[in-house]
Amino acid sequence: MRTGLTSSVILHAVALAFGLFTLSSPPAMPASDVESVAVDIVPMEAIAQTLQGDKKAVMHDKPAPVPTKRPDIVPNAQKVGENTVDTDKPVTDEAKPKPVEKTSAPPPAPTPTEKPAVEDVPKPQEKPKPTPATEVAPTPTPKEEVKPEPVKQTEPKPPAKEATPTPDKTAAIQKEEVKPDAVAEAISQDQPTDEAKLPNSAPAPEARPKPQPQPAQAESAKAPDRKDAEKPVKEASSKKKSDEKQFNADEITALLDKQKPSGGGAKRSTQQASLGGEKDQGQKLSKSEQGALEDQLGSCWTLPVGLEGSENFTVVIRFNLNASGKLEGRPTVEKSSGNPQFDASAVRAVQKCDVAGLQVPAGKQDIWSDIRVNFDPRAMLGL
Amino acid sequence: MENIALADPAAHLSIWALFMQAGWVVKLVMIGLLCASIWTWAIIIDKLVAYSRMRLALNRFEQVFWSGQSLEDLYRTLADRKTTGMGAIFVAAMREWKKSFEKGAKSPLALQTRIDKAMDLALTREMERLEGRLGFLATTGSAAPFIGLFGTVIGIMTSFQAIAASKNTSLSVVAPGIAEALLATAIGLLAAIPAVIAYNKLSSDANKLGVRMEGFSDEFSAILSRQIDEKVAQKA
Repeated sequence: MRTGLTSSVILHAVALAFGLFTLSSPPAMPASDVESVAVDIVPMEAIAQTLQGDKKAVMHDKPAPVPTKRPDIVPNAQKVGENTVDTDKPVTDEAKPKPVEKTSAPPPAPTPTEKPAVEDVPKPQEKPKPTPATEVAPTPTPKEEVKPEPVKQTEPKPPAKEATPTPDKTAAIQKEEVKPDAVAEAISQDQPTDEAKLPNSAPAPEARPKPQPQPAQAESAKAPDRKDAEKPVKEASSKKKSDEKQFNADEITALLDKQKPSGGGAKRSTQQASLGGEKDQGQKLSKSEQGALEDQLGSCWTLPVGLEGSENFTVVIRFNLNASGKLEGRPTVEKSSGNPQFDASAVRAVQKCDVAGLQVPAGKQDIWSDIRVNFDPRAMLGL
Repeated sequence: MENIALADPAAHLSIWALFMQAGWVVKLVMIGLLCASIWTWAIIIDKLVAYSRMRLALNRFEQVFWSGQSLEDLYRTLADRKTTGMGAIFVAAMREWKKSFEKGAKSPLALQTRIDKAMDLALTREMERLEGRLGFLATTGSAAPFIGLFGTVIGIMTSFQAIAASKNTSLSVVAPGIAEALLATAIGLLAAIPAVIAYNKLSSDANKLGVRMEGFSDEFSAILSRQIDEKVAQKA
């Protein structure tokens, strides 16, 4: 046993000594001198959010939408587009050249007018031509044509005066004027003979026929009230004219809205477009904002009286708010509770709160333009 | 002061330094485990030597026994010496034989029984000697890891307390304490693993030797029984 013990002790001493020398201290881990990397914890929602911009552009620190071509007219516009107003409509290629449309309509009118001026018979033809002009764009056409009148004609002054007011005034005024027009017609019939001698002043008669056609158009296209008043006059003067007018393609085209559609907002940006989608998306009301909204709605909400177990109902109400945070349209019931009274009370709550003024988070119009709120008495009223 | 010391961990992570840094409980555990390890190895060495010696002795005795030498002569040579193993059994049996037979025992059946008893006793003594202290190996093998773990837990506890006090959780503060605590478990395993292996090997070796001796005792008992019958027949 002694041999065993001594040899064991010796063995251990040797092992320990060996261990102390060889396993003295492990070499320090080779930590290379690398700059520390800052790590941010970003909520997934922040990544899912895309802001308006250019899909192919490089990512910039500051998001910028696609720059528009028009100068900066709307200073605080939110929507991309070339429009003069800030609208939600999608962008279209063609802008609307409003004034061009109107001016294009009148030109055909003057050419035919010269001929009838010389001849007495074609008068009815004159009437249809001006009609489109008055129908589509009453304001501009008369003004252009009226100008020459006062200068050239001395006699027809009264009708000329009447002609100028007609466009500005309403149809009611036109009716009254019809009567003097009848007189003017008579005068005009006489005049052509005088003016036939002077071909240079041919356009002058235009003014006279026009006031006449105006009532005629009214007959065909507008209110029946006028017809009663005007018919006797017209029928007396020319029954044939009314027959001819019954179908006229020009009138239909005149009724068509020739304004080119135009959409898009008016966001102005001179900066280089940053990486982004076609529109802002992914933004959500934060929990606290949603809670604040529900809080406000809850304070406006009164449960229908005498409804048993109303705290067990829930209803989802959807409503739209406009840019100023006001209710737009009537709130709709998206998911009914099954009890119309209960649903109605929730709708009333939204309307009542709107009257009082809903406080919505600024700068998140994209989100709160369309809101869904779950009206749950347990959560909102603490029942 | 502590921070300055911790800033240079390499200087304080040698095994000796770890041992010296440890608390007294952990130190005690480590020392105890070291002693257990030393004792374990002492037993292992002792047993290995003893078993090989025993095996040699058995071989030599069997050789002599079956060489055709008379049992009387063999007994005379062995009686004066200190015998082990089969020799001891043989001597015990012969001594009993002589005592009873020379005095003229009357019942051969009783003589046979007495000789068997004497041989059993000798065999048991031999086995006791062979298997003695193997129990310590078994105990060390099973308990040393736990003792080491105890040291580790205590060490980690104290190191955590120290961390809480220093109010600094950087790895360089935490690491040394844990390393020092883990040393206790390492020593425990160092003691336990050889102990378990050695126990299994030595106990099976002892078993083999025991079986061999048992076989011899049975054989010798048969021989003696035959001798008794012959002697009884001669007398008759």
